[in-house]
Amino acid sequence: MSSISQDFAPPFKLIAPFFILGSFFYLISSLYVFSFNIEDLSFLNPEVLGFVHLFLLGFVMMIIFGAMAQLVPVVLEVGHFGVELFYAIWPLLLIGSVLMVFGFLFSPALLPYGGVIVLVSMMIFVMEIFMTIFKVEKLNLVMTSVLISNTFLFFGIIFGLLIALAYAGTINLDITSLLRGHVYLVVAGYIIVTIMGLSVVLVPMFTLSHGFSMRPLEIAIGLMTTGVVFVVISSMFNIIILEYLGYFLSAISLGFYFYLIYIIYDTRPRKENDVYAISLMFSYIAMLVSIVLGVLYFIMGSEELLLACGWVLFYGFFAFLITGHIYKIVPFLVWFERFSPLVGKQKVPMLADMVPYKSSQAQFIFSALGVVVVTIAILTKSDMLIGAGASFLVVGAVAFIRSLFYMINFE
Amino acid sequence: MVYTKEEIFLAISTVIDPEVGFNLVEMGLIYDAVSDDEGNVKVTMTLSTKACPLHQMITAWVKEAVEKMPNVKEAEVEVVWEPVWNISMADDNVKKALGA
Repeated sequence: MSSISQDFAPPFKLIAPFFILGSFFYLISSLYVFSFNIEDLSFLNPEVLGFVHLFLLGFVMMIIFGAMAQLVPVVLEVGHFGVELFYAIWPLLLIGSVLMVFGFLFSPALLPYGGVIVLVSMMIFVMEIFMTIFKVEKLNLVMTSVLISNTFLFFGIIFGLLIALAYAGTINLDITSLLRGHVYLVVAGYIIVTIMGLSVVLVPMFTLSHGFSMRPLEIAIGLMTTGVVFVVISSMFNIIILEYLGYFLSAISLGFYFYLIYIIYDTRPRKENDVYAISLMFSYIAMLVSIVLGVLYFIMGSEELLLACGWVLFYGFFAFLITGHIYKIVPFLVWFERFSPLVGKQKVPMLADMVPYKSSQAQFIFSALGVVVVTIAILTKSDMLIGAGASFLVVGAVAFIRSLFYMINFE
Repeated sequence: MVYTKEEIFLAISTVIDPEVGFNLVEMGLIYDAVSDDEGNVKVTMTLSTKACPLHQMITAWVKEAVEKMPNVKEAEVEVVWEPVWNISMADDNVKKALGA
């Protein structure tokens, strides 16, 4: 019998805080959108930087870290090195994220403190993942992607800390050039490479797809890794041609990745369009839209296009991929803890029974509308549409929190 | 008493995959089952994915379901990855319900 992980399901109480906090950060990020002043929207605006850190650290990273506590053994096929370390990660990430957001909004002096706390939190996470990877005898492609993404995260947070120190005036560095490296290491190097690796395990698992080639993923990860390295080198040595080559390779990489996801989707035996399936469809369409907006930005040079590209990537691609997977991961963890001991003794629910239909659908519809309306608002510079989009997003986020608590408390 | 493959499959059909809602037999995940006259049963099965987080639990349920059969002393469950499972191995009712 093949040896497979011994610890596939860590205790839910360990993972629950990540998901609960993450969902509240999603709501707060959505409320934050109301404060956007369309005329002042710019990538270096402290309000935008505060929003980006609120969303990425509080929501995206918080939920990815929690999900990794469960998914790492699934993907790496070995038990965690020290899963208890996750008890320390979320409080540090919470405090660090809040300090950083307040730092951007009110007092840059807080940034190094928040940055150091986030750094400690992420270092614990990265080291735990590295130590777990060391237990793997032979790395496959997906395991390699976890190694690559966490290496990028390691350097991404070092860059981030340097920027925080420079932003607060503690050290003297060129923030703008380092920022490119930081953003690319964290967003493309960590988040996107992690998504690429994990999704080719999770999506076929939930759709029952089989028999597809992993070659497109191999190419996608290779191109994205090269692209990230190029952009990071260019950010340190200001080599413009390398920077653009990095962006180009990243766009091609996403194309290969999308092709693989399309093949998995197209050959799936499980055709039901539940909230998971529609969330993923929206997510990947958002990814394509984001690429198109990014390409248009390079052709036309208008900052609105770049802002819209970032917005669709974050709130369309990342957010829907995350919320969609929450509807699979949380029921599994709750079921595993609460109902699996009752199998064979009494009737137990199926995982799909634990997902609230109305609130999950409401979450999808309102959040999707919000993403579309805010995108149009950014492109047309309409403050009124920003407010309308934010309203949809807030309703969607409330429905998401309601769905999450329904699944957590399912009896 | 020696059980037939069909009788053992019937016992295993009480085990449901909570993700898809079908039993393991109709999913086509149970490849073989043999028993001897000393009450030992060996089940050969697979899972729909190597990354299945319920791996150990499902094999334990199969073992338990078989050991509930009268005169079965011990059941051994072997998980194999060849042939790789695919939807064509499932019963028609499963394929229809999934939309395959």
